Amino acid sequence: MIARAREAGADLVVFPELSVTGYLLAHGVHELAMEADDPRLEPLREASRALSLVVGVPLRLAGGGIANAALLLEGGEVRGAHAKLYLPTYGMFDEGRYFVPGRLLQAVASSLGTFGILVCEDAWHLSSAVLLARQEVDAFLVVAGGPTELDAGAQAAGARRWHAIVTAMAATLVTPVCFVNRCGWEEGVMFGGGSWAVDASGAGLVEPAPPLAESLLVATLSRDAVRHHRSLHPIPQAERLDLWRAEVERDDA
Amino acid sequence: MRELPEVNVPLVAASLQVFLAEELRASGLSAYVVGLSGGVDSAVAAALAATAVGPQRVVCLALPVAASNPESLEHARRVAGAFSLQLEVLDLSEPARVLAAALAAEGDRLRLGNMAARLRMIALFDRARRVGGLVLGTSNKSEILLGYSTLFGDSAASVNPLGDLWKSHIFPLARHLGVPAPVVDKPPSADLWPGQTDAGELGFDYADADPILYWHHERGMDRQSLVGLGFPAPLVDAVLLAYRRSRFKWRPTVVARLSASCVNVDRILPRNPER
Repeated sequence: MIARAREAGADLVVFPELSVTGYLLAHGVHELAMEADDPRLEPLREASRALSLVVGVPLRLAGGGIANAALLLEGGEVRGAHAKLYLPTYGMFDEGRYFVPGRLLQAVASSLGTFGILVCEDAWHLSSAVLLARQEVDAFLVVAGGPTELDAGAQAAGARRWHAIVTAMAATLVTPVCFVNRCGWEEGVMFGGGSWAVDASGAGLVEPAPPLAESLLVATLSRDAVRHHRSLHPIPQAERLDLWRAEVERDDA
Repeated sequence: MRELPEVNVPLVAASLQVFLAEELRASGLSAYVVGLSGGVDSAVAAALAATAVGPQRVVCLALPVAASNPESLEHARRVAGAFSLQLEVLDLSEPARVLAAALAAEGDRLRLGNMAARLRMIALFDRARRVGGLVLGTSNKSEILLGYSTLFGDSAASVNPLGDLWKSHIFPLARHLGVPAPVVDKPPSADLWPGQTDAGELGFDYADADPILYWHHERGMDRQSLVGLGFPAPLVDAVLLAYRRSRFKWRPTVVARLSASCVNVDRILPRNPER
């Protein structure tokens, strides 16, 4: 996939949540967790000399515990990481049993720009993207392992929900979004695929990926277009942090 | 009255075909083994497998006993023909007779029916061992929720593509896949004794039960709400009684936990670690 992306002229390849190991690991996460300098990541570190990569791994933390993390690899090394903040532990999800939550919401600096990385459930908490937008990210990278149901719709139901979130995130924060989701089956669970990229107005830059087959989507993000959108729609700059502060103070009281 | 929501049948079919191809690949085995009963569920399971991994990698067995309706074998042959599947007929009448005599079960049609279902399970898993295959399950969601199956009999399988599909959705899926019409259109029957039908045993049709099960199991409506919506109270009571009584069949055998590493309690691990 990386070779194909390179042939297509990509500067950055983004893979889904826990892309290196698979998502439904349960206690198997203890067998597969790795540190950032793990030898098993060497082929990816090497590949990152030619183009930037975002991959998902169960990341062993120095102080103990395992994070559900996305790593940015560039120039043969790990340049940044985001540990998933919100671990869904309801319905079919049991992440709180196997992972520890991340504690920081920090944009990741890349040679290509500044990215706000969100791992799946992080994006279902709208505040995550709002706070990252305050850090003036060039784009959101939403890496997901989103399961799906099938209903009467033409698309997987999960992908439809994600597309609504991605569109709203882009349009309200005037920031492009690359949404990358697991597809196909794992342990009897179907993942919805539907990976997609939208510009800072929420308009699609490519056709969404199908639910069942691995796909390479190539999208071009334009800083000029983002600047233009943000000049016409200065919505994130108008965020009323005083309301947030009042809510936090009320909660503290 | 609330209806059962529809599903996108072609998308369901395509998704289940990918599922079956992936499960066989991940297992490292070479074929699916399925018992063709002549009914619609096993026909759909076999058709999905045939299109997923190729008919040459689907081993079909027809496993009649003395009480089986001859029409069932004819329908199994029609299904095999429709999907270019090789069908082997193994008559289990004699083993069933010997077992029934040994266990003094003659005349008890429920026990005889369970024995037939479990003998079929033995034949299917034995064939799976011989060919290096996975036994394909054919139980649908309605049957599972109502407990309408023989534990370790027809409910025993390695992989089940239909277990989260309502019986009401099996029929349009069967038509979409090209299952012969007589197999789709006949009344559902386990065919464990002459004249047996699912509706006769359960006391209601799947078409009536499925919406109740859906709104209760998936949408959380209680009995009072269901009756308030217009579902007949006796029907709601009958469906919910079967639903409550059958839960012991939904999960693997309960194991007495004595350590901090009890399998499936303290240690839940992927089934195919090398997948």
